[in-house]
Amino acid sequence: MSQQEPLEVKGLRKQINRGKNSLAKQFHLVRKSRMKLWQNALYILIGVVVALAIGAAILTSLDISAIDYYSDMFTIGLVGNAYPERAIENFLVSYVPLLITSLALALSFKMRFWNIGGEGQFLIGALTSAVIAIKFPGLNPYLMLLLMSVVAMLCSGVTGLAIARLKTKYNTNETLATLMINYIALYVVTFFGETKADWNFFLRTDSERPKFTSFTKMPFVEIGDFHLQISVLVTLLIATGIWFYLRYTKQGYEISVIGDSRRTATYAGMNVKRITLRTMFTSAALIGLAGAFTASSSGCISTNITNNVGWTGIIVAWLSKLSIPGIVLSSFLITILQFGCRSASSLYPSIDSHFADLLQGLILFAVLAADFFANYKVVRIMSAGEKQEEQHEDKKEVES
Amino acid sequence: MSDSEYAIELRHISKHFGSVVANKDINLTLRKGEILALLGENGSGKTTLMNMLSGIYKPDAGSIYIDGEKTLISSPEDALKAGIGMVHQHFKLINVFSAADNILIGSSKGSETHALLRKSRYSQVNQIIHDFGFELDSRKIVANMSVSEKQTLEIVKVLYYGAKTIILDEPTAVLTVQETRKLFEVLKKMKEQGHSIIIITHKLNEVMEISDRVAILRKGQYITTVNTSETTEKELTELMMGRKVDLEIERPIVEKTAPVLEIRNLSVKSDEGNIALDDVSFYLRGGEILGVAGIAGSGQKELCEAMAGLRKIERGVVLHKGENIAGASPEEIIAKGVTMSFVPEDRLGMGLAPSLSIADNVILKKYKQSKGFLLDKKRGAREAQEIIDKLEIVAPSVETPVRKLSGGNVQKVLLGREIAIDPNVIVTAYPVRGLDINSSYAVYDILNQQKKTGVGILFVGEDLDVMLALCDKIMVLCHGKLMGVVHASKASKEEIGLMMTGALNTVHQKRGKTAGIAKDSAIVEDEIIYQEEEVNV
Repeated sequence: MSQQEPLEVKGLRKQINRGKNSLAKQFHLVRKSRMKLWQNALYILIGVVVALAIGAAILTSLDISAIDYYSDMFTIGLVGNAYPERAIENFLVSYVPLLITSLALALSFKMRFWNIGGEGQFLIGALTSAVIAIKFPGLNPYLMLLLMSVVAMLCSGVTGLAIARLKTKYNTNETLATLMINYIALYVVTFFGETKADWNFFLRTDSERPKFTSFTKMPFVEIGDFHLQISVLVTLLIATGIWFYLRYTKQGYEISVIGDSRRTATYAGMNVKRITLRTMFTSAALIGLAGAFTASSSGCISTNITNNVGWTGIIVAWLSKLSIPGIVLSSFLITILQFGCRSASSLYPSIDSHFADLLQGLILFAVLAADFFANYKVVRIMSAGEKQEEQHEDKKEVES
Repeated sequence: MSDSEYAIELRHISKHFGSVVANKDINLTLRKGEILALLGENGSGKTTLMNMLSGIYKPDAGSIYIDGEKTLISSPEDALKAGIGMVHQHFKLINVFSAADNILIGSSKGSETHALLRKSRYSQVNQIIHDFGFELDSRKIVANMSVSEKQTLEIVKVLYYGAKTIILDEPTAVLTVQETRKLFEVLKKMKEQGHSIIIITHKLNEVMEISDRVAILRKGQYITTVNTSETTEKELTELMMGRKVDLEIERPIVEKTAPVLEIRNLSVKSDEGNIALDDVSFYLRGGEILGVAGIAGSGQKELCEAMAGLRKIERGVVLHKGENIAGASPEEIIAKGVTMSFVPEDRLGMGLAPSLSIADNVILKKYKQSKGFLLDKKRGAREAQEIIDKLEIVAPSVETPVRKLSGGNVQKVLLGREIAIDPNVIVTAYPVRGLDINSSYAVYDILNQQKKTGVGILFVGEDLDVMLALCDKIMVLCHGKLMGVVHASKASKEEIGLMMTGALNTVHQKRGKTAGIAKDSAIVEDEIIYQEEEVNV
């Protein structure tokens, strides 16, 4: 400290420094020993409750009963609905793409390949499958779905393959490459939605404004009044398949080893490049499939068809620590949240659907924070005679 | 300044990581102007304790007294202010900067950071280096420095920052015999100037040579401090282990076979594209252990990787039982019974997948052998259990992730797996790296047993005393060149030390015989030329 400094300034600075240091000195983070599953779940539950409490405060300030709102939200619009079957059907329609995308992302994350291009791969799948749907109307619905799926998976998979190839050959950054593909795909869809050129078969000819044409919908199995879409069954099969693949097959084993240590994988004679290509193809193809399913069940495409699953899927995959059963569960819960928020907000005209987005954000944030506190604890450094020491310091300062 | 007897006093220090107790109620004193050796097995908490002194970790409980005054150290900056400097095992230097800049950039005094871009800084820093009594050119770029020079720079750095107490974490692990001697002279000089020094090391002979007192930790607890002059290596070992041990390394005599591995004129490049191995020839017989000695970075890593098919062979022949395997894939080489286990500095980087279970790691080199699409999990579990039983690995179950095991057990898993594939050649680099005495001896036993069954072992090592006791022959590398092959029973440490620094070359010393070429070689001279051409294509 320089000598010209006036005494008051000197004292002030000392105080500031002491304040800063004492906080840092007294508390620090310590990693907890591994939590049991139910403990982890409890933390997350507390996080959700905190987020809901904040949401309730906002609702109350707008003169809306938080209890009513939340009960509407968590019953996802089932209560008091003349057609509860439709609500469940719609719920499943939101669940399917999120689940497949999260599973697919987990597959590449497990290999430490940071595929954040879920949005783009989804759009590519949706767009290419829509081409099939529009170009071949009148096909048998099952055959149609099959064809749409295959084309979407191939196109999206090849995109993923190309990015993986760039990575294995030139060691490009896959995070950037997949991110950029998102925007390219988004603008391609925008382009098809806007250009009124004659060749654009995506547009309806009977409409003045540019508008996507709609096409045949997804086949379903009727169970009483309930229409179970084929995609739900396929998705559950895929989830089981991926769980089995990662756990019991040689290829799944290779993915785990590469994710853990690339050098070890090479050393054990694995062809890391080929495995990277293969896995990234599978991952992108599955996300493309999610796109095809969504295009098929909505019977139309648009730029917001993804419902952000490419991003939400990343959160789901990490929250579940890349465990497949975990992903099935947490994507289910997040869909309830999203879907419930949307159906509840439609019942309260005084707040628009942005509140649903706000609440979603709050809850996800709280869940991530809860996850942090489940793994770390804040500890105060304990040492005998610390207080006397501080008093002593104070005395010295008074003297000076 | 207080006139306390102790430079540092630790009282009731404890540190936990999750449920693991790294340090429990430790009391330790460092007198002013003494060299204290800190001794303990792996996982006894030496490094954790020193990291708390240097501000990297914070103690959960207990207090630190410096010069008799209670001090809270919550960052490396605090430690520096308190006059404590640590020289880490892995140097913390900026490779592309000169020595002077590496020193000045970390300086906390504002006036000195201004000197950073001035030309005069070199002469200033040279003066400082000279004042401390070191030899080092302040203009030299770190990337061009030898390990010993880097270490000197680290020491100068902490001294320059005003450290009164210097902690050295295994400083001799990377040095040759001559360099170690030089370091010790420097340490003694520092002691005379009134500095206090804590040195962490595994090597008992060094402890006896350099230290005034020895503090011993065992399993995170403080055992005792003894005066070096009043103790023996044997007593120290017993204190460290908590029981009596036999320090002899066995060298069983086994009948040697024809060469299982013959390397002729091998040249390999490093990751940076420099020549890492230059025209190296040697051979390995079944039933012998051939040591590879050299200063760190003399081409040992590249040699191992070339043997395992992980690195491109630029030139030369690698003959395995009469068949050239230069250019074969790792998979093919594994299938021929050549195993390579390399323990890098971080100990987990190569050969193991740390987050996977022991069973999954054990099956790593065999998983393709089972038929079909599925992984043979049962086989992994069975063989993992066999290895655990045979090598007495301490592990809760075969499903435990490898990273949760202690260093010794991790290395046993690695070696156990390599042995389980019934190899005829074992290439092993630093298998006892960072291991305590007990685990090290377990590893030597494993290698000796393999040797008795007629396996040829290439042992890349660091500790010359161990190599002289364990190996049959030792080949010495210096800057990627072969300096000669000596019989361990006839060679001296000094001789090997000279060869390691390139001061002595015995390759062509004996008339009519070139070191590294077997009398009963399977390589015919014509064949070499032919095979070289093949490799070049």
